[in-house]
Amino acid sequence: MSPRTFVALLLAALALSACRQRTAAPAVNATPSPPAVAYEAHVAAGGRIPPGGTLHNPHQGDQAVAASGALLFSAMNCDGCHGPGATGSVGPNLGVGRWRYGGADAEVFMSIYYGRPKGMPAFGGALGEEGVWTLVTYLRSLPRSDNLVTESWEKP
Amino acid sequence: MRAIAAAPVEIVLALLALGAGANLARGATPVAASAADDAQWLMPAKDYAATRYSRLADITARNATHLHPVWTFSTGVLAGHEGQPLVVGDTMYVVTPWPNVLYAFDLTREGYPLRWKYRPDVSSNAIGVSCCDTVNRGAFYADGKIIYNLLDGHTVAVDAKTGRELWKTQIADVGSGETVTMAPLVVKDRVIVGASGGEFGIYGWTKGLDLKSGAVVWIARNVGPDADMLAGAGSFKPLYDSGSDLGVRTWTNDGWRTGGAPVWGWISYDPDLGLIYYGTGNAAPYNAEQRLGDNKWTASVLARRPEDGTLVWAYQFTPHDNWDFDATGAMVLADLVIAGKPTRALVHFDKNGFAYTLDRATGRLLVAEPFVAVNWAKSVDLKSGRPLIDPGKQTGASRGTVKGICPCLEGGVSPSSPPAYSPRTHLFYTSTNNLCMDYSATRASYLKGTPFMGINSPYTAGPGGYLGTFMAWDAATGRKVWENKEEFPNWSGALVTAGDVAFYGTLDGWFKSVDAHTGKVLSKFKVGSGVVGNPITYRAPDGKQYVAVYAGIGGDWLLLAGDVRSDDPTDLRAPADYVKDIARHTSAGGMIWIFGL
Repeated sequence: MSPRTFVALLLAALALSACRQRTAAPAVNATPSPPAVAYEAHVAAGGRIPPGGTLHNPHQGDQAVAASGALLFSAMNCDGCHGPGATGSVGPNLGVGRWRYGGADAEVFMSIYYGRPKGMPAFGGALGEEGVWTLVTYLRSLPRSDNLVTESWEKP
Repeated sequence: MRAIAAAPVEIVLALLALGAGANLARGATPVAASAADDAQWLMPAKDYAATRYSRLADITARNATHLHPVWTFSTGVLAGHEGQPLVVGDTMYVVTPWPNVLYAFDLTREGYPLRWKYRPDVSSNAIGVSCCDTVNRGAFYADGKIIYNLLDGHTVAVDAKTGRELWKTQIADVGSGETVTMAPLVVKDRVIVGASGGEFGIYGWTKGLDLKSGAVVWIARNVGPDADMLAGAGSFKPLYDSGSDLGVRTWTNDGWRTGGAPVWGWISYDPDLGLIYYGTGNAAPYNAEQRLGDNKWTASVLARRPEDGTLVWAYQFTPHDNWDFDATGAMVLADLVIAGKPTRALVHFDKNGFAYTLDRATGRLLVAEPFVAVNWAKSVDLKSGRPLIDPGKQTGASRGTVKGICPCLEGGVSPSSPPAYSPRTHLFYTSTNNLCMDYSATRASYLKGTPFMGINSPYTAGPGGYLGTFMAWDAATGRKVWENKEEFPNWSGALVTAGDVAFYGTLDGWFKSVDAHTGKVLSKFKVGSGVVGNPITYRAPDGKQYVAVYAGIGGDWLLLAGDVRSDDPTDLRAPADYVKDIARHTSAGGMIWIFGL
């Protein structure tokens, strides 16, 4: 099987599950998809938070989807920058729990779907909503083992 | 081994150079006159032969113990500071990593204030398409212009006097995985450039631009059909291969179309033979089972005519590269006596761990000996030019994890760390890495603009309890003469002078001067960050000799260091137990350091 066929099949499988998902429960709150997202962690001038939609991960905590996401992470070459297991390489470590553009599911979704200005490609076109949620679910399933606040070389 | 030409006329040349400097600053003197000019440093490797040798001899093995920093400047950039400054007349020029700012320092005034700085608008999208940090390997001075490449795929020419942009040409396509980190070479009225992207499946190339206008005059592919490679039936004579379209026929699945062969290192030039020499990078993807065959001309040295790009000869160091053994390291041109015979040689320390000495007129292999621990091949056969490969160290998706391959894919030396050659000691000086790797290839899928790799390759320490060296090498016989073991992989370029002093920096931030005959450390100073740049030397307007070097850990080291590209630049994270202490000794941060007596 050629790599292109592999990706095509993977995407087809994801699209199928996306169809099932849509009929069961809309992934997005009755707004055009994907909508503007409210970044609640931002400092709001005057304390007034601008209106924006909320995105919900339809697969939150689903281990089977997270496993598909691990395959997709490799198949879409995410590991080429973020390292195998998302532990960081030329791109940031995604398992450490510290995020450049916010770590809420919706924020991670936006980073992958539209890309980010310092080099993160936009994958929404290649993957679609369902593919991106699958990746988000995988990333959120990663163990947070690496977030050391103090690093000491002294003997205790 | 003996060099043919090594006349001790340093003093005369230095005096001449001082005079020439004033003219060059006004752009009056042609490039050809500049190679012998020792007050200045006008091109990345000092001269066309890429020797990084200076005839300045004020600093000697006797007085180098007095070397101390006389000036520093923060570039304001945190990425890996590879490359080197230029000194033209009474001005020092420094190119930073992305966003590729060009600083011009006035060396005539106290504190070296800026004459000007040039801040091009470089797309931040290029950051994510650069495989191995947003480095820049330096600028070239010619015709009154400072010429260098921008990460987002442009070459610019800036007026050396005023800082005004004279031309800007798009040469590479970031959307296809191409970025530009290499230093250009100017020969007569051609600016020779190439692109990085061996990790993104590019269709690798070299281009020749017009020095006056920046217009692209010729494009030569490094793989693919003869017509694209500018390999004419009458003009292209590879010594160890025959037949047409080798760049197509040595690939299965049309793999050459996404086969890599980037150009991200250095170019040298022999004016007598009229040839430029450069190495090509790895074959893509890293899973070599998707591209069976030799995969010509990846991991090779190519000799071309600079005026029109015509390919004259090529030699492949690593056929069917399945270890990411780029051959983009410097091709140093030296006239050596080999087995009693004066030889116009080309010397290259390859990532694959062998040091090669070739006849640079024909590409004939003369010497190939390992300079670090090597086990992927037993030796290189001088008759066929081919390595005798250990089948147990062949990689590919069907082979699972192949353990203990030496050297690791960072190379016996990083191509970012160019060597130096002294015609006085007849020795080459280079950093090395003592690392091995486990290589797990997986099937890679080509998706334009994203990495095309298929690899997980954790590194391990090589044998002997040290991770790098700085060493002296006899290229006529292929023998190590001396080496200084270093605690960490050694990533800086080398400099050697007529004072018989060699200079290098370490990854934990020591800048050292050593006796070129013995390796004895003469001075050392802890600079602001790990050194991955290349020292230079020059004579300042005050008449004294100085040595300049960048500090600023990064480059490929970033890949070993894990998360240095997180939001937190102080998080220099150790990737593995063998090198866990690096973060104790250094953190990111670019600075220029100047040392004097």
